[in-house]
Amino acid sequence: MNDTQLDANPAPSDARPKKPRKTSFTKALNDALDLGMDRFDEMFLIGEDIAEMGGDFGVTRKLWAKYGAERVRDTPLSEAAIIGTCVGAAMVGMRPVAEIMFADFLGECYDQIVNNAAKVRYMFDGQFSAPLVIRTACGGGFGGGPHHSQSVEGWFLNVPGIVIVAPSNPADAKGLLLASIESDDPVLFLEHKALYRARSDVPDGYYTTPLGKAAVARTGTDLTVVATMRMVPMALTAAEELEAEGVSVEVIDLRTIRPYDAETLLESVAKTGRAVVANEAPKIGGLGAELSARIHEECFSELSAPVGRVDGLDAPIPFSVPLEHEVLPDETDIATAIRATMEASR
Amino acid sequence: MEREQLLDLYRDMWLIRAFEQGLEAEFEQGNVPGMLHTGLGQEATQAALANNLKASDAFFPDHRCHGLNALAQQRHKGDGERIMAELFAKSTGVCGGKGGSLHSADPSVGNFGDNAVEGSYLVTVLGVALAAKMRGESRVACAVLGDGTVGRGEFHESLNMAAIWDLPVFYACVNNGYAIATPVGEGHASADIVDLARGYGFPCEQVDGNDIVASHDAVAKAIGHIRAGKGPYFLEFKTWRWQGIFAGEFRPEAEVKYWREDHDPILMTDELLIDRGVDADELAAIEQQQHALIAEWIAFAKESPPPDLVKATADVYAQWEVGGR
Repeated sequence: MNDTQLDANPAPSDARPKKPRKTSFTKALNDALDLGMDRFDEMFLIGEDIAEMGGDFGVTRKLWAKYGAERVRDTPLSEAAIIGTCVGAAMVGMRPVAEIMFADFLGECYDQIVNNAAKVRYMFDGQFSAPLVIRTACGGGFGGGPHHSQSVEGWFLNVPGIVIVAPSNPADAKGLLLASIESDDPVLFLEHKALYRARSDVPDGYYTTPLGKAAVARTGTDLTVVATMRMVPMALTAAEELEAEGVSVEVIDLRTIRPYDAETLLESVAKTGRAVVANEAPKIGGLGAELSARIHEECFSELSAPVGRVDGLDAPIPFSVPLEHEVLPDETDIATAIRATMEASR
Repeated sequence: MEREQLLDLYRDMWLIRAFEQGLEAEFEQGNVPGMLHTGLGQEATQAALANNLKASDAFFPDHRCHGLNALAQQRHKGDGERIMAELFAKSTGVCGGKGGSLHSADPSVGNFGDNAVEGSYLVTVLGVALAAKMRGESRVACAVLGDGTVGRGEFHESLNMAAIWDLPVFYACVNNGYAIATPVGEGHASADIVDLARGYGFPCEQVDGNDIVASHDAVAKAIGHIRAGKGPYFLEFKTWRWQGIFAGEFRPEAEVKYWREDHDPILMTDELLIDRGVDADELAAIEQQQHALIAEWIAFAKESPPPDLVKATADVYAQWEVGGR
């Protein structure tokens, strides 16, 4: 299937492309669900207010009217039962797609994800699979406060058996969601809330974007920035800024966080000799730590500077917008980390 | 109940007891890895379930269901020894030694496996039931739950969702009086779990789980209700486990005497069968036959090879290989 690649970059103002038809991230996800429901009889959608209401962010809009209440199923506020239902149904060959309204609520169904979805295949010696998708809205930047803003990939990074998908743009979101629906492994599909309104060209019709494959979102020769979700457009903005300063930055969009595409990442760092890892979550024990460790482990001799780190502060996400901005990293932090890494070079 | 049917149930109860006694002896000699939770004392409950569930149904056993698992395996595939081999962590086990006592599954006999976060499958069972309903299958999805697991939030999420969606879920609640060492009446608002289930509006019954005839009939009624498309059903078995805690027996002497001597499910069935003219020698022969069968199963388990080390990273993902050491 075609590995769609896209200009996720919110293009700099002087280079804005002239008006091709753009699709929002939300609509791209909605299209993917529609195409999946149409193609797979065994697929159903389940979650809180996803039916007639179309979900808190409108991702399931109009699907209830088209496919009916049996396949687009509202639930009570019972996250453990939502994911438990998905696991049980998947064990007998259905392809459920759950919506957990906010990623912060995954604590309510953590056991079902970690101890069931991720393990039924392994612990029962391959007699079961868990082909389910858990879509959830994550990330900060909109004043959601401590329980509606978290980046949760680190909560699941240490769990073999789970796939973590994290798109950064509408075309990937559609292709990755369809690939996740096709996947026989359980997928945690992270939708960054700040990206829902992002727009870009999205191919029509059914296509998949492969899981476990990173994309080179921008090519460069001096330094590699590795990012996911909202950090990708931010990294692209920082890269443009650095270009003006004579630094050529390559941006790798990981797209799948677990298992991640080490090959593409390490190849890029081996080429540029410098890396910055950009991550919205707190610094300790997360994706940034893993990627930084891996780059040091495998590219030590090619590195001309230690890996730079851009992370959230080691704090929960506060409600106050200025405080939230203080906690979350942005383009400026990425640009600063790139400059520091360039200066630290041997 | 017909004499022959009662004799079949009696054989099954002895199979469970011989299985657990044989396993316990091996465990004490250090031949069985991990932990041991036996179903001794709960044989009638498990025999009643095994005799009413079909291979096309789905049950989620609890941690004391070695006997139910073995019966399902033996009835539907004739290879009950593979449950024993699984407990010995051998390659010939139903999960190749990767699941063990707490995760023995074989969906081809309807066994969907335990989850050692006991009670966690109370919500998993919903999905199996929902799939059956969406596909128009007559499958019964059964969760065998202990009294202790009722403390989990999933219990209430599950009963509520089964009720609003009218799902074919059979809650087989084995109330053996204690969650490890906490008496059921101290851990829950009622010592009768059925009281906690009633608010969800589907049939909730209670039965003497050591009375094989009553238990069998109660299970048959529950499953009949579900197969008729009438939605979920909750059945509480009042029973008692022989096994104490790691430190030994912790319960009052009179209570132990009552359950082990006066209300033992096998001794109670002995009386019923003798009343129906079965010879005491025939009963003794059944006991011996089942012990002999279990001795064969244990020998099979001990002789079987351990899993190949490549299995350590097999089946983590369907679409990717995970590297070995």
